[in-house]
Amino acid sequence: MTKQTTLAIEDSSHVETATVPNIRRRSAPAIERVNWPATTVLVLCAVTVLLPLYVTVSMAFKTQGQAVDGNAFSFPAPFSLDGFIQAWTLTNFPVGAAMSLLVTAGTVLATIVLAAFASYAIVRNWERRLFRYSFFYLLGAMFIPFPVVALPQIQLTGRLGLDNPFGVILLATMFQLSFSVLLFTAFLRSIPMELEESARIDGATTWQTFWKLIFPLLAPMSATVGIFAFLYAWNDFMMPSLIISDPALQTLPVRQNLFQTQFSNNYHVSFASYLMAMAPAIVAYLFTQRWVMAGVTQGAVKG
Amino acid sequence: MESVKATRKKRMAAMGLGLALLAGLLSGCTGEPGKETIRFTFSKREAIGFMTKLVADYNASQDKTQVVLDTSGVDVVSASFVRGNPPDIALANYNMETSRFVQRGALSDLSGTQAASRVREDLQPLMDQYGSYPGRTSALPYSVMASSVIYNKEIFAAHNIAVPKTWSEMIAACEALKAAGVTPFYATWKDDWTIAQGWFDYSVGGQVDTIDFFKKLAAEGTEVGPESSVSFQKDFNQPVEKMLTLAKNYVNKDAASRAYGDGNLAFSQGKAAMYLQGPWAFSEIAKTAPDLKLGTFPLPMTEDPKDLRVRVNVDLAAWIPEASKHKDAARNFLEYLYRPEVIDAYNKSQLGFTPTKDSANVPDPRIEGMVEYYEKSQVYQGPSVLVPRTIPIMNYTQAIVFGASPASTLRTLDADWARLAFRQ
Repeated sequence: MTKQTTLAIEDSSHVETATVPNIRRRSAPAIERVNWPATTVLVLCAVTVLLPLYVTVSMAFKTQGQAVDGNAFSFPAPFSLDGFIQAWTLTNFPVGAAMSLLVTAGTVLATIVLAAFASYAIVRNWERRLFRYSFFYLLGAMFIPFPVVALPQIQLTGRLGLDNPFGVILLATMFQLSFSVLLFTAFLRSIPMELEESARIDGATTWQTFWKLIFPLLAPMSATVGIFAFLYAWNDFMMPSLIISDPALQTLPVRQNLFQTQFSNNYHVSFASYLMAMAPAIVAYLFTQRWVMAGVTQGAVKG
Repeated sequence: MESVKATRKKRMAAMGLGLALLAGLLSGCTGEPGKETIRFTFSKREAIGFMTKLVADYNASQDKTQVVLDTSGVDVVSASFVRGNPPDIALANYNMETSRFVQRGALSDLSGTQAASRVREDLQPLMDQYGSYPGRTSALPYSVMASSVIYNKEIFAAHNIAVPKTWSEMIAACEALKAAGVTPFYATWKDDWTIAQGWFDYSVGGQVDTIDFFKKLAAEGTEVGPESSVSFQKDFNQPVEKMLTLAKNYVNKDAASRAYGDGNLAFSQGKAAMYLQGPWAFSEIAKTAPDLKLGTFPLPMTEDPKDLRVRVNVDLAAWIPEASKHKDAARNFLEYLYRPEVIDAYNKSQLGFTPTKDSANVPDPRIEGMVEYYEKSQVYQGPSVLVPRTIPIMNYTQAIVFGASPASTLRTLDADWARLAFRQ
């Protein structure tokens, strides 16, 4: 037994050593040759992202005098943390970030769960008119942007005592629902009915089928939906600014609005603040991009 | 089966914990016990430090009211009026936006307050120009900003140029500067508001009686046009032509691509002798040149020095909404805000003018040049701010300096005004 495996390993290594030079010889020129036009385009694309990022970072560490001197690309000298300190206190950063996090987490969770529920129900009952029409009804919400319904929403949330982050979570979820249902239903259609039938045969209820089978299978699409909801809720300015009435419960983007005035420039404070606000989004992206990519490619192959 | 139960229990526990945390967070945000809490809206970025300290002082000085400073801005205030829980007191820029609250009677009457009796009466027309509510003093001016030409005293002295008092002296000064290789004006036309606020308003306000003009214009309403007694095309044409004389001959070459921020930097580096900006630019210029000697003078548009006037705007006005549930506490705080030492200290810190009769403010040397005009109320409100926001006057003025025909642009302005009057 052992001898056999070692033999096999030896054998395979032998094969490898035999084939590798062969491959290299054949493909070596292809590796060496650089596709200059494509590289140039890609470098330019990278620069459009990196350059503003560099300015943001370097600006954040500048002093007030250096921040307005008209040389955006200069290196910060002297190195100053003043911008961060001011931004931290002016926006009351810990509270603002906590509120943004609360609103974002709430929106992401509610969107994924509710949209998955709705999509599952709709796809599995597509032949019934009620479910088909409710799908169109949900999609219809895509045509209604928030500013159009802002006024009644403000009044409604005010009367129902929802003029706080919970109201924002509720509304943001609602606005995010139509697009998410669209994504989920498309994905759900690609999951074979036989899988579900086998679960039924094993005695699973609808609830169990959903949680144990369908929801895990939806994971890549849930990641995509979650990321869209995250970006929307984390960056949204208008809805929290109009719905949340207590300034102490306001989210970060609204607090940062303070830095945008007509008459004064505080680049170092603003950029420091933006950097701090960007950090969670970047971190979230780093952790979840794997799933987004997986979701995209999976959908592409199945489709 | 057991594992399912366990996870469900765990899930419920997590949910409960989350809710408890949130409840704690929310309840932690109500004010101190035993004190009446009032919300005070103030969102002038540059002065937030000052106001934070002032509010803290007030809260420490008495134990009845707790003032909470709200810096979240104008949109939030409008939404709170819709919702029916507006701030209890506000110090905010007085403009067309605020005037909507005034005209609809959303602000309470302040005429009975001590503060109201101390406000200079000759400033009332400036407040009324935005509209009023019958029988009420809806808002009180708190800080008045006067603006005119900012000039670099060092450059003027180096070329032996005196402050011009008439239009021909102005042209002569510009010619002298130009001959000496100095750019007379630094213009920042990329930002359209700098044209409307400075170039357009100073030129028109220096010649046209804006209060009278807009009163007549409102009376004409839908009739405004070539045949009406007053119109933009008739009354503004000549001032705008004069503005173009300055704008075409005496500005930096790259004016069209320069923004406000660039202008502050260039002016602080002595790249031009004059700058058409308000006092808010001083603190920006000081960021790069804290010791530069600057002064101000009204832009002369006629041959009579008596016509000299400065542009003013009510930078901050105090108001208490009708829907506030803590009006008395808010009024007490209002009186505190209007205490001579408080209001003077505020205006000193922001280079503003105090609108009370008993003000003892020693003006900053940078705005000294405007004091005599302000004291004698030789002031006007910028025509650009008196045009409703629906009419894009800033873009129109920008089009004019970029080469559009002034006559046809002013005709468009007339037509817009008449159309708006027709709709209302």
